[in-house]
Amino acid sequence: MWSDEPPASFAPPEYYPAYPQPGATDYDAHRYVTMLNRISTLSVPHVNDLTEQCYIIYKGDPRQDLEYERQYAQQTPSYIVPDVIKNFLMVFQKAINDQNLYEIQNAYENGFNKLTDRFFKTTPWPESEIIAPIVQNDHTFLVLYKELYYRHIYARVQTGPTLEQMFESYYNYCNLFNFILNAEGPVHLELPNQWLWDIIDEFIYQFQCFSIHRSKIGKKSEDEINVLRGHPKIWNVHSVLNVLHSLVEKSSINRQLEVYTSGGDPESVAGEFGQHSLYKMLGYFSLIGLLRLHSLLGDYYQALKVLESIDFNKKNMYSRVPACQITTFYYVGFCYMMMRRYQDAIRTLSNVLLYIQRTKQMFQSRAQLYDQITKMNDKMYTLLAQCLVLHPMRIDESVHSQLREKFADKMLRMQKGDIEEFTSNFSFACPKFLSPVPPNYDTPSVVNHKEPFMLQHKVFIDEVQQQILLPTIRSYLKLYTTLPLSKLAGFMEMPVEELKTHLMCFKHKMKNVVWTKGTSGLEGEFQSASEVDFYIDKDMIHIADTKVARRYGDFFIRQIHKFEEITRSLKQVN
Amino acid sequence: MADAMRAQVGALLKGIDRYNPENLVTLEKYINMQAQENTYDLEANLAVLKLYQFNPNHYQTTVAAQVLLKALTNLPHTDFTLCKCLIDLNKQEEEPIMKVMHIAEMLEMCQFKSFWECLKIDQELSASVHVITGFEDSIRKFVCHVVSTTYQTIPFDTLTELLGNIPESQVKQWISKYGWSLQNDGNIYITNQEENIKTKNITEKITFESVAGIMAAYK
Repeated sequence: MWSDEPPASFAPPEYYPAYPQPGATDYDAHRYVTMLNRISTLSVPHVNDLTEQCYIIYKGDPRQDLEYERQYAQQTPSYIVPDVIKNFLMVFQKAINDQNLYEIQNAYENGFNKLTDRFFKTTPWPESEIIAPIVQNDHTFLVLYKELYYRHIYARVQTGPTLEQMFESYYNYCNLFNFILNAEGPVHLELPNQWLWDIIDEFIYQFQCFSIHRSKIGKKSEDEINVLRGHPKIWNVHSVLNVLHSLVEKSSINRQLEVYTSGGDPESVAGEFGQHSLYKMLGYFSLIGLLRLHSLLGDYYQALKVLESIDFNKKNMYSRVPACQITTFYYVGFCYMMMRRYQDAIRTLSNVLLYIQRTKQMFQSRAQLYDQITKMNDKMYTLLAQCLVLHPMRIDESVHSQLREKFADKMLRMQKGDIEEFTSNFSFACPKFLSPVPPNYDTPSVVNHKEPFMLQHKVFIDEVQQQILLPTIRSYLKLYTTLPLSKLAGFMEMPVEELKTHLMCFKHKMKNVVWTKGTSGLEGEFQSASEVDFYIDKDMIHIADTKVARRYGDFFIRQIHKFEEITRSLKQVN
Repeated sequence: MADAMRAQVGALLKGIDRYNPENLVTLEKYINMQAQENTYDLEANLAVLKLYQFNPNHYQTTVAAQVLLKALTNLPHTDFTLCKCLIDLNKQEEEPIMKVMHIAEMLEMCQFKSFWECLKIDQELSASVHVITGFEDSIRKFVCHVVSTTYQTIPFDTLTELLGNIPESQVKQWISKYGWSLQNDGNIYITNQEENIKTKNITEKITFESVAGIMAAYK
């Protein structure tokens, strides 16, 4: 079964696959025929009077070893698809064939999730071979169905996907992207934006899962290692990059965004493919996908570079998928933090946190999305707390009060220079870093799957270590408007010469590159907007603080309301 | 020459082709050129480190060390951090990378005196640094940047020390380059910092209209 090679266009020759390539569909056809053969041998009992509860799961423990799975798959499964599922699939298929976006969205967001909760809470949906006859072997539908099928296994089946399923899911993405990218003209398919985003997001997520799974070779059997060793091209980083780059190019999305930013009509440069919503949106989401992928590899420069055509200060037509917005800001914020551009990180994170605060109720009905957003929300507050400890500055009041409520203790510990606290916050809030190359299978004992995390962690903690005394110095500076060097040196219990070094370090670290204009997030100029600033003149430190007058607005509003209430109850007494 | 090369490399790094390890030969040559001709191209250098990340068998310690040293010449920008994020931990423990990491830390913490001492004493390190044309002057530029943001006046001797105890005539060149002035009392006047560094007062401003809206709700 594993002798199947991935489609030609995704088999990287030496380093990366060229795109598009003739013959890419050969594999496709081959697999399809194999699948049909398998289907023809299946006998699906057609039982109408089955109640939904009679649903039988033919699959055993998904954690079987590969050999067993292979034999098992060839057996004839006695599998009964309940009518409610059948009907759903037929409606779903019809919606896609009719290109009724509203109905597709309904089936995708409501129907599928409802049935999942009812029948497949922790078990897989029926395999595509089983549902194929129900949808007359509709190839496009089956590829899309499998996208959902594997995604559901990753998300809901407790034991997670088997290696076989990881491979199969990869092949299915290859099929899907080949279908979209290798067509002579634009394919006639429109899908809801949310789904298109989910496809790109999941594609990278599964690559991430596979890479992490692959690097944990200590716990693997020899068989499994041999399978991995034998298939270096599956979930290869070049293939993943290639898919994203190809989608970006096919859609001319960068050109479109440039024209859009300058006030022109993006359609005029969209080209044959880019005019279609499917290509345009996949192109846009691929840019965000690249941001994420580069961040996972620790390449923060390239991560921000791929977004250069996007103007985040202009409301854009591409930003209607909240999950995409949130992902974008999370990674941009994280990149800025790692680049010691704290002011930009703080601006980015507080913007998106405010956005979540205001729109959160809207997602309450969509449990999965809501959970996802809540999790991201916590991570971003943690990142913001870290950045504000390193670079104190004023932020939006409502975000600030949330922060005080949840993170006051953590921030205090970090201010006191508690490295443990930085470490635990960083590991909670950082993305799951990964290694782009397979581990050395011959020396499993020395391979550490946490290495990519440890590298990024070290870079961050090194930076924190360099700044560790700054919060203490700041706390003294805050108390004075002028302070002799010798006096502060006394407080800090160090010679004046050493103090001067720390003060220069303070100024160096607090002067960050800050974005000022244009669409490139990499550009900017040096600024220091930190709360406390100072300069040295001869032996004296002159300090400039930021003083915030007491806020009285809230107080008055509360009193106005109170007064109103009193008058109302007085009226009632009369 | 450098510009032509920059354009050529720029074309090489477009799209998916930036991950082609066959480009490494050209890119490594380009790094060498940057070192010799005192030019700098962060994006190309990061592309090299990324290719090493994807193809560990192509990794060359000396090239990586050159990239890191070049990154230091662009302080106060955080290029060094960006490069560090792409070099495996075990490779960071090899020489001369480890030494470069060490001086980078001193520079980031503005321990300029220790930095110059280290450079003077450590033969291997100064040999690596020697390959990078204009390295020391780039660091002096960074020193001047930090001084110009920290001091209103600084003693001549202190500045000399921060610049690595160079001859008086050279210190004077740096002073005039930045438009500073040497005063009679032996101090150098940097700039009027009072103008830039001021206490900020933030007060809440509430307009009549916004209060009126609330009052109007209760009639």
